[in-house]
Amino acid sequence: MNRLDALRVIDRLFAEHLLIVTCGATARELAAISCRPNHLPLLDSMGLTSAVGLGVALSHPGPVGVIDGDGSILMGFSVLPTLACYAPANLTVIVLDNGQHASADGMPSQAAQVDIAGAADGLGLVTVRVDGPDELGSAVSTALTSHGFHLILAKIETGNTAGIPFRLDDPVVMADQFRLAADRLRRSGVAGAAGA
Amino acid sequence: MKASNAFLDALVAGMLDWGVTDFVYVPSSHSAPVIRGLEAAGVRPIMANREEEAVGVAGGMRLAGAKVAIVMQDNGFGNALTALTTFAQAYHVGFPIYANTRGGLGEYNSMIQSISEPVPALLRAIGIRVETLGVSDPVDVWRLSARAAAELSTMQHRPVVTLFEALHPALEAAL
Repeated sequence: MNRLDALRVIDRLFAEHLLIVTCGATARELAAISCRPNHLPLLDSMGLTSAVGLGVALSHPGPVGVIDGDGSILMGFSVLPTLACYAPANLTVIVLDNGQHASADGMPSQAAQVDIAGAADGLGLVTVRVDGPDELGSAVSTALTSHGFHLILAKIETGNTAGIPFRLDDPVVMADQFRLAADRLRRSGVAGAAGA
Repeated sequence: MKASNAFLDALVAGMLDWGVTDFVYVPSSHSAPVIRGLEAAGVRPIMANREEEAVGVAGGMRLAGAKVAIVMQDNGFGNALTALTTFAQAYHVGFPIYANTRGGLGEYNSMIQSISEPVPALLRAIGIRVETLGVSDPVDVWRLSARAAAELSTMQHRPVVTLFEALHPALEAAL
C-alpha cells in the first residue's frame, strides 16, 4: 500500500467527518485526491497534528480523524500519553508509517527501529496494525462505528508520489472553512460517535 | 474559585467573566492557584506535557468552538514558538494564554531568567500581543485585563499573552 492508496481509503471514510492532516507530502497527496472544507491540513506544523486533533475531538460531538506520519508523531511524541489520558471516544488517529522522513530527502525515521504501536499499546491505547487498504478500511470503519478511541498504525511504502504540486492555499481560509464545517456538522447532528 | 491571593483570584474571575469553558495547562507551582481556581469553578482542565502540545490542543478546541485558554509559565514559550507561529498565528486561531513570569523577585532558580527575561521581546518579534499584570496593578485591573485579553484574542483571531507576576506560593506564605 502506498500513501495514495491509504489516503483514498481515509478520504472516503472521513468524507463527512472532521479530519486533521499532517504536513508535507501527505497533505499534498490528499489534496490531489480531494480538498474538503472539513479536512484541515497543517502545512508546516510537524509534530502537532495529533495534539490539534485531540483538541478538536474534545470539543466536537462527532467523529474526528487525524492523519499523522511516523516522523511527525515521533516529533510530538509527548502527545501519546496525553491521548491515553483523555482518549476521546470520537477520535481516531491514523499513523501512516513508512519508516522514513519522505519529505526530508527520504532520511530514515526512528520508526525504522522502534515500534510506535508498541509504545501506544504500552500506554493503554487501543492500537491496530494494518498493512493493506482493505485492512485499513476495515479498521477505520470499526473505529467510526464503535465507541472508543483508536490508534491505527498503517504500514505504507516509502517515498512520495511524483508530480504532486505544492499546496499554496491560504491557511486562514482553510481554517475558516474548517470552523464552518465543524459548526455545520455540529448543527446537523452528524455524530455517529459521542464526544468525550 | 479561591486562588492563593486577591490578584490570582481576580485573574480567575476575569477568565470566568469571559466565559472560559476549558483550559489547557502545563503544571506550574506558580500557576497552581490559577489552575485550582479554574478547576474549582467547574472549567474543564486538560493537562499537556509540553507547551507546544498545549498550543495544539487548545487551538483544536478553539477551532471546534470552545472558549479555551492556556495556563503556563513564561519559560515554556521557547518550546511553543513554532506551534504558535506556524499554527495559531498562521491559521488565525485566537485564544488567550496566561503565563506566570519567572526570574524576578522571589526567584530561586538561578538560570531561569535566561529564558524568562527575553520572553516579551520574543513574543512581540513573532507578532503576538503581550499584556502584563504586576502587583502594582490594582486587583480590579487584573480582572478586567484578564477578560479583555481573552476577548481581544478571539476578536483578532490571534493568541494574546498575559504575563502575570506570581510569587511561588511557599515564598508568598512566608512573607
